[in-house]
Amino acid sequence: MHNVWLIVQREYLERTRSKTFILFTLLMPALLAGGILIPAKLSEFKSVGAQRIVVVSADPDLAKAVRQELLAPPPQVAGSPQELGSTDGFVVQVITTPSDELRETLRQQVSAGTIDGFLWLNADDLAHHKASYSAKDVTDFETNRAVRSAVRTALVKHQLAQKGMTGPQVETLLTPVELKTVHITKGHEGTSGMAVFMTAFFMVMLLYVNVLVYGISVMRSIIEEKNSRILEVLLSSVTAKELLAGKILGVGAVGLTQIAIWLVIGAGFSTPGMVGAKPYLSDVRIPVSAIALFGVFFLLGYFLYSTMYAALGAMVNTDHEAQQMQWPALLPILLAIFLANPVIKHPDSQMAIWLSMVPFFAPILMFIRVMVETPPIWQLVLCFALMLATIYGLLALSSRIYRTGILMYGKRPTLPELRRWLKYAG
Amino acid sequence: MANAVELRGIHKTFDHFVAVDHLSINIRKGGVYGLLGPNGAGKTSTIRMMIGIIRPDEGEVWLFGERFHREQLQRVGYLPEERGLYKRMKVLDHLVFLGRVHGLTEHEARKRSLAWCERLQLSEWTHKKVEELSKGMQQKVQFIAALLHNPDLIIMDEPFAGLDPANAVMLKDVLLELKKDSRTILFSTHRMDQVERLCDAICLIDHGRSLLEGDLKKIKASYGTNHVQMQYEGDPQLEGNELVQSFNNYGNYVELRLKPGADAQQLLRTAADRARISRFELLEPSLEEIFIDVVGKNA
Repeated sequence: MHNVWLIVQREYLERTRSKTFILFTLLMPALLAGGILIPAKLSEFKSVGAQRIVVVSADPDLAKAVRQELLAPPPQVAGSPQELGSTDGFVVQVITTPSDELRETLRQQVSAGTIDGFLWLNADDLAHHKASYSAKDVTDFETNRAVRSAVRTALVKHQLAQKGMTGPQVETLLTPVELKTVHITKGHEGTSGMAVFMTAFFMVMLLYVNVLVYGISVMRSIIEEKNSRILEVLLSSVTAKELLAGKILGVGAVGLTQIAIWLVIGAGFSTPGMVGAKPYLSDVRIPVSAIALFGVFFLLGYFLYSTMYAALGAMVNTDHEAQQMQWPALLPILLAIFLANPVIKHPDSQMAIWLSMVPFFAPILMFIRVMVETPPIWQLVLCFALMLATIYGLLALSSRIYRTGILMYGKRPTLPELRRWLKYAG
Repeated sequence: MANAVELRGIHKTFDHFVAVDHLSINIRKGGVYGLLGPNGAGKTSTIRMMIGIIRPDEGEVWLFGERFHREQLQRVGYLPEERGLYKRMKVLDHLVFLGRVHGLTEHEARKRSLAWCERLQLSEWTHKKVEELSKGMQQKVQFIAALLHNPDLIIMDEPFAGLDPANAVMLKDVLLELKKDSRTILFSTHRMDQVERLCDAICLIDHGRSLLEGDLKKIKASYGTNHVQMQYEGDPQLEGNELVQSFNNYGNYVELRLKPGADAQQLLRTAADRARISRFELLEPSLEEIFIDVVGKNA
């Protein structure tokens, strides 16, 4: 045990002191914060001014209706974040005398920049539910969407009015139904569905990345130790099992430390500093139990995958070889990510329940279920038991491969050779 | 006095390849022992079994008069042929780590590391990363690591490989000092000249079997003094002489090997009849010749 502790200590101190660790630990939250804040800021910068649009239609009522829609403020759905990149409104001019000359003039004006675009509403086209909007900047999706929705609403209102409906009646008819999805955990009503989805998605991705990053890190450092020939020196006083245990525990501790630092930084950010991102984060509530389970799933997932990666590392001699060989360890977790989507949609389907029990998928799929619903305790217990049993089995296999592999240089083993490695008594 | 190392019929096969074939060796406490053999003879496998890195299929390993158990490893210092250090660790941190792995306290490991670094002229480098050191300096760090816990048995696989002459002398002096302190030193090498100068006893192995074992002086004596070095003027017509097995002219002198049973005095008389002999010396065979002879017969 003393030896394991020494290995863990070395592994932990050398890694946490390294510049890469410090940089990555600080950079990751910065990148995430940037990812949230920068678009928010950008949307502010975008307010360079109103879009100058000319609406051309032979029907003055329709043209006016379109103008009214364009000028009306976009409807705000309560609780939903403000649309990213929403425009600063429109300045609308209406022309009711369409002609080819006019169209040509408008085209030139768009080119010259005196107007941003023109909407051409032709009765024949409208009968086929078509209209054309010509602008210089046709990839400005926000404007396109606003124009499209304005035309659509205006047309509906216009036609309803022609059928004899009054203004208020039309308004009432067109008011959208607001569907609020509420997440129920342990009988309490919790946060909204969208927020749960986003949180789950974010946490699962973080889990996936961390399990992989640290699993691969174990593999790479074993390859490095093999290449630097330090192992034989260590083996003269430490057993291969102690080395393997120390390595996996040490790297795992580094991973937990990093996650803990991120949580602290995250907590710091979600207070005053993040006012800019408040509208996007206000609905995100990560329950303490989810954070605790995040740690548990990280550790179990990490142990499971890092034992496989350790065996791989002991089998090969270079990173390059390792890349070709790592699919057995990579495939299950990638598969779990592919399965994440169906599970997130139907977390309590039979399929989701049993898939999330598969130890190789559990770190991703069971964690998703924990985030989006509350699986019964027996399922969690069974899942943990299965994972622990798998880890135990993998460790037994892996330590045998490791023990032989770390003393083997040169050609990597064939399958029959690997079978013999597993059989060697020691 | 108990033997430092006793190998009792150890045997190891990898797949179908016999690496070590029922090998038995006794290494007396104190003194320098040479484990010799051509490449692939089974030296490294033998050493690995000696210190529990791999387990023999058959046979037993005894250290310091007890059957092998892992606690004994704290009394063993090992310098493997394939050496290595963590490149990004600082020299002192690295030595302290290896010292602790061998059972020292952190304080003690630090104290001894600094003393050794002082002695081997590494003091200025203790806070540098290993990768910043030259190859020779890294070797010295490795050497210190093997000695830090003051082991009773020191096992060194090709210890002089890659050292410049000055450092090799420094290392040799340290080893001789340890020998005086009645430590047991086991060398594994195929460099015969070093063995000849340092070793008290040897074991020559090939194909995992012991071909020759025992006290170096006795071994050499048993081969008899059938070598002659001579200097002369004129032509003693040594080539083709019925007493001479092989003949080598080095310019300033010739060295020859007598046929088995040939009398050196008779050779001297015949040669003296034909030329003026200024030097005629009977020699023991060099270890290299014994090595080539024994391994050659075995092949």
